[in-house]
Amino acid sequence: MSLLQDGYARRALIEALLVGALCGLVGVHVVLRRLSFFTMAMTHATFPGVVLAALVGVDLLLGSGLFGVLVVLGVSWLTTRPRSDSAAAVGVVLSAGFALGVALLSAQAGFTRDLSAYLVGSIVTVQAGDLVKTALVLAAVALTLALVGKELVFGAFDRGGMVAAGYPAGRLDLLLLLVVELTVVTSVPAVGTIQAVALIVAPAAAARLWSDRIGPTTALAVLLGMASGVVGLAVSQAYQVAAGAAIVLAACGFFVLSVVVAPVVRGRPVPLGVG
Amino acid sequence: MRYLLEPFGSPFMQRALAEALLLGAVAAVVSVFVVLRRLSFVADVLTHTVFPGVVIGFVVAGTSGIVWGASVFAVLSTVLITVLAGRSRVTEDASMAIVLTGFFAVGVVLVSRQTSFTSDLTAFLFGRILTVDRQQLVVTAVIGAAVLLLLGLLGKELLFRAFDPAGAEARGYRVLALDLVLNLVVALVVVAAVRAVGTVLVIALLVVPGAAGRLLSDRLAGITLIAVGTALLAGWLGLVASWQASVNHGLRLASGATVVLVLVLLYGVAAAIATARKVRA
Repeated sequence: MSLLQDGYARRALIEALLVGALCGLVGVHVVLRRLSFFTMAMTHATFPGVVLAALVGVDLLLGSGLFGVLVVLGVSWLTTRPRSDSAAAVGVVLSAGFALGVALLSAQAGFTRDLSAYLVGSIVTVQAGDLVKTALVLAAVALTLALVGKELVFGAFDRGGMVAAGYPAGRLDLLLLLVVELTVVTSVPAVGTIQAVALIVAPAAAARLWSDRIGPTTALAVLLGMASGVVGLAVSQAYQVAAGAAIVLAACGFFVLSVVVAPVVRGRPVPLGVG
Repeated sequence: MRYLLEPFGSPFMQRALAEALLLGAVAAVVSVFVVLRRLSFVADVLTHTVFPGVVIGFVVAGTSGIVWGASVFAVLSTVLITVLAGRSRVTEDASMAIVLTGFFAVGVVLVSRQTSFTSDLTAFLFGRILTVDRQQLVVTAVIGAAVLLLLGLLGKELLFRAFDPAGAEARGYRVLALDLVLNLVVALVVVAAVRAVGTVLVIALLVVPGAAGRLLSDRLAGITLIAVGTALLAGWLGLVASWQASVNHGLRLASGATVVLVLVLLYGVAAAIATARKVRA
């Protein structure tokens, strides 16, 4: 397969596999807790962090990660205030973040080129160092989710019961938001900002259609995430189209396929989501 | 005061101001409904799903084709979203996120096959309000009139549905049809905004004014007035900021972005006022 012949293609493939697995793992919890809009907002709101990091000369992942933590804390605070509409608050943060990033970026030369890379990703320019970073993030997230995964699922289905049972539900919620944010800033260089959401949501949503149990759903989400990466890269090379977009379309394709095929194969109506 | 008026001596700045004020006012009225009905995510989805339409329109017919392409995709995705919202196979937010990113990816694929990839992409996504021409102003005015007409005719029914969907259904109103109309209204604003602020920043115009109004008032008239006022102020001050930064400080700041930043600042002011009120009461 020609995907393995060039150095850059090999690195792109490894990055796609790592990012696909990472997004699949986290996606299960995002879908369970209906955090898709929040994830979308995260991709927009962490944008100024990337620009600032580039301006200052700090490592992009570190810079955008730190900025993202601030954003998560800000959004969490906004949504816990009384009489606040969380959807509107998220919308405001999303708008502010992106506008700030655009303003900062437009103040420099090379506006359009950098912005495009951020928006649509540039997986084919991934370096060995980026691969190491992604692998480390994957390991850290996998470990975290292995440790608190059950509690997170408990909180997703029965938050009241969880609080009553004495678990620190608020802190677990925040932990998950931070994990999502970390996943977003790690995936953006690969597939671009808006499309990182697809890789997080689509494989997990598709997996959810095939299984009612967390274990198999997670395994399938990881598999579909990685498969989207492989298929997307192959299509991108064959038809000369943007790699990030092709990966996203592959993920969406798997989802649509699951919507159509899963109920038929399983022989019964597909269960509802949470709540 | 001179500082605030001096940017608007030239025709292109005057047109930019007219576009910003027109668009801002219409979007602000719609944003009241967006906030009331918690449609922020739907609005965000629509801003991204028209993107492939914008690209196709541009490829087929140049800049004048943008609005047509955007309109077709706006209608298509409005129908898709409204239909999806009613089904419970997959949670609503997940299916909307997938529609959003899928459509957007199609747009990116289409753009990536053109040669002048990067500059076109940013123009579509962030608009170029400073290059708005008279024809564009007319288009915005027409769309604005259509939106206000629809909201004027169906405002009461839309409000009824917003606060009591079961009651509205029982009274004989077709809730699905009303939802379709409102989503279509949002989509129309997105189409009108494409040339000016681009698809990515229009979400701000569709959420922030209404959110600011909601912070300061409980009555529909109050919310709408504050929303429109905020949007108009942001349009004007945002353009001033961008012009002054460019002319007096040599700093290039994208105009669409400065408008949104002023808008968010005004929201911050509203939030501060709201908090102060609560503390006093």
